[in-house]
Amino acid sequence: MQDIVVIGGGPAGLSLLAALKSSPKTRHLSCTLIEGSSLQSVRDFLVEPPEEYTNRVVSLTPKSVEFMQQKVGNWDFIKQDRVRFYDNIVAYDSQDNDARIEFDATQIGAGVLAVMCENINIQSSLIGRLNELGMDDSTTILDNTKVIDITSPIHHDLDQHDLNEIDVNSGKSDLDWPIVKLSTGESIQARLLVGCDGYNSPVRKFAGIESRGWQYNTFGVVATIKMQYEDHRSIGWQRFLSTGPLAILPLSEDNATIVWSSTPWLSELLLKVNPDIFPHLINAGMTLEEVDLKYIYSMLDKDPNDFKVLDEIQWRLSKIDIKSLEENYPLPVVELIQNSRARFPLKLSHADTYVAPRVALVGDAAHTIHPLAGQGLNMGQSDVGFLVDALEKGIERGLDIGSTMVLDSYVANAWPGNHMMLGVCDKLHKVFTTDFGPVVLLRGLGIKSLNMAESVKDLMIKAISGR
Amino acid sequence: MAHFNALASSWWDVNGPQRILHKMNLLRMDFIYQTVRNHLRLNPPETAVEDEIYIPPYGVDLLPDAIKKNIVAEQEQRRDEILENAKLTVLDVGCGGGILSESMARLHFIDSVKGIDLSEDVLQAAKLHRAKDPMFVNGKLSYQLRAIEDLPTTEKYDIITMFEMLEHVEYPSKVLLAALERVEVGGWVFISTINRDFISWFTTIFMGEHVLGIVPVGTHTLDKYINQTEIREWFESDPQRKEAFSVVDAKGCVYLPAYGWKFTSTPDVGNYFMAIRRMK
Ligand SMILES: Cc1cc2nc3c(=O)[nH]c(=O)nc-3n(C[C@H](O)[C@H](O)[C@H](O)COP(=O)(O)OP(=O)(O)OC[C@H]3O[C@@H](n4cnc5c(N)ncnc54)[C@H](O)[C@@H]3O)c2cc1C
Ligand SMILES: C[S@@+](CC[C@H](N)C(=O)[O-])C[C@H]1O[C@@H](n2cnc3c(N)ncnc32)[C@H](O)[C@@H]1O
Repeated sequence: MQDIVVIGGGPAGLSLLAALKSSPKTRHLSCTLIEGSSLQSVRDFLVEPPEEYTNRVVSLTPKSVEFMQQKVGNWDFIKQDRVRFYDNIVAYDSQDNDARIEFDATQIGAGVLAVMCENINIQSSLIGRLNELGMDDSTTILDNTKVIDITSPIHHDLDQHDLNEIDVNSGKSDLDWPIVKLSTGESIQARLLVGCDGYNSPVRKFAGIESRGWQYNTFGVVATIKMQYEDHRSIGWQRFLSTGPLAILPLSEDNATIVWSSTPWLSELLLKVNPDIFPHLINAGMTLEEVDLKYIYSMLDKDPNDFKVLDEIQWRLSKIDIKSLEENYPLPVVELIQNSRARFPLKLSHADTYVAPRVALVGDAAHTIHPLAGQGLNMGQSDVGFLVDALEKGIERGLDIGSTMVLDSYVANAWPGNHMMLGVCDKLHKVFTTDFGPVVLLRGLGIKSLNMAESVKDLMIKAISGR
Repeated sequence: MAHFNALASSWWDVNGPQRILHKMNLLRMDFIYQTVRNHLRLNPPETAVEDEIYIPPYGVDLLPDAIKKNIVAEQEQRRDEILENAKLTVLDVGCGGGILSESMARLHFIDSVKGIDLSEDVLQAAKLHRAKDPMFVNGKLSYQLRAIEDLPTTEKYDIITMFEMLEHVEYPSKVLLAALERVEVGGWVFISTINRDFISWFTTIFMGEHVLGIVPVGTHTLDKYINQTEIREWFESDPQRKEAFSVVDAKGCVYLPAYGWKFTSTPDVGNYFMAIRRMK
């Protein structure tokens, strides 16, 4: 029997556990976290991080960083040499490279727009923090352990009870607490079950909570790359192609990460292109015109190892003014880190609610979002904050923390903000995948465009920085 | 037994007929917690001089911000420490299905809670629900079919609560007196009830019973309502009582259906909570 069982050892689950154990009000609760895969690489990262960057990298908002510093206390365990602050995003079009919008953090009165950080760096910092807090009987992490079933106990007939004796058999079915069955054969009964179990959330299914949304029929291709040398400009670059935005975001030194939102066909191509051609393809994607790109894609579609495309790309790049190339574009990409390419289907979804009696959903289990503004993980951090607030208040009021009397305020605080963010990113996605370049479109609208460009700009900058 | 099961489930269904009480419980737990916490004696007599914390004679509000922040932080820490080691005893009079009793029993600074009521039925429901939380295996929470007047006066409590029950009794002052006789020096009596005014009649009897049907008809009768000023006057009226007890706080509150309970600007209208402390 546990007060809280957290399912999922992703960023959301580990953050929740560390936040609960950091708060003087919730520290005493017995908590178990269950993760299906192994967390060994996460633990190893803490002691000896690998030389190269891993391929899951996220952009953290200043608000999330502050949360990690002040509420969870894991920021101290982040490998600081592997994070990169950036203060500016330059967005431009494939239709007209001169139509540009700059998102500058100083415009919103902040020094930093966001911070690039590997998922595993965040996860391992949380393990570091939990170790620091001391793993005692009330903190258990079971990895390599899958939840295979969640059941609601059958209500026993309570008529047999002698009411003058308190009669509670632990783990028996006279409690209405959900029972979690594990792949190890064990079962745990939980006062409160928290699903941090990602998009396909078994907890959400158990609670019968509806989740609405749609697939974008788009994939996000991610990869870790090396630039020619370290770019001291601290700029994130985003170019709107008719197939979706392509972003290069800086990491420390000469490292960078890309997210290339693309059609199913293009995403497959991007994954199978020869690793030595791939960097050039990104350079082309950041610079060349759509017709040229289509031609290059078609060559590679016929033969992903066709090194002749390098000439084609080089010849076209050579026509662009060298000074403009240096000033207005990202540095050339020179290398793809081995095995760092992966693709993820992009979708939007939002659960109707995040709670049911004895159940709460956090992070991707509750919502998934288009990555173009880098908000998914950040939204999970804000969920954790609101859930811990609600639990602290519930404990101060002497309530059963599994009760909706406690959990309702979590939904009331977290849901509307997430819903707005989902809406903003969905709108941006639609603006950005028109056949006309959005920036051109905005400019073409004349006088009005200035305002409209301003408002899209505001939306984007607020989304990225989480303000 | 099935009857009690049904009663227990209905008392404890937070979306059921007692939803208003469940919602009110949030606000009153805040009221109790804040009142107790804010009035702790930060430097009890046995405190060594070097352990004493500084309490500015004219309050903290006149001090510069930085100093104020430090002093407040130090005071809050001391409050936490005192509560950490406190072991307060509670008597919940007219406990009903135990909504308040359970909440009080879960607080870490409460040592034990005894809930009493005159209805056998609701007490059975309370016990049934208590059995559903392993937290109460420790016996911290007990229930008894008893009138407060029938408890020995030697049995004293740090906190006595009488929520939403004075309006149901024939002689409220007798019951209140019985509570005063059973509270420890320095201890608290918390009550809630309703002012006898037009708004109360309108919201609780007319709207609640007749229009909205959220409470059964006949639950409230207007002539049993006591104004908060009458309670204050009742304390003033007796020199001994006046000296021994202090009405520390009274707050009005109102139920807004989509929102829940919130405090109002005056305790003179509608529902109110009151905190009475025994000074000597
Ligand atoms: C291409 C791409 C780019 C992104 N970029 C950004 C970005 O820049 N900024 C940002 O904030 N976010 C970004 N995101 C989103 C971010 O990665 C996710 O929002 C985040 O990882 C979700 O964390 P989570 O802990 O909620 O879920 P997950 O990371 O999905 O974790 C769920 C965990 O639950 C476990 N689990 C599931 N079922 C079971 C079971 N039955 N038993 C045991 N364990 C189980 C899984 O093994 C998994 O570890 C991006 C996403 C994509 C796809
Ligand atoms: C509206 S309920 C309030 C229950 C509980 N105090 C709460 O607020 O959650 C009123 C309760 O007071 C009890 N009651 C009425 N008169 C009483 C009396 N004289 N002594 C003890 N209990 C009484 C009733 O049986 C009923 O359970």
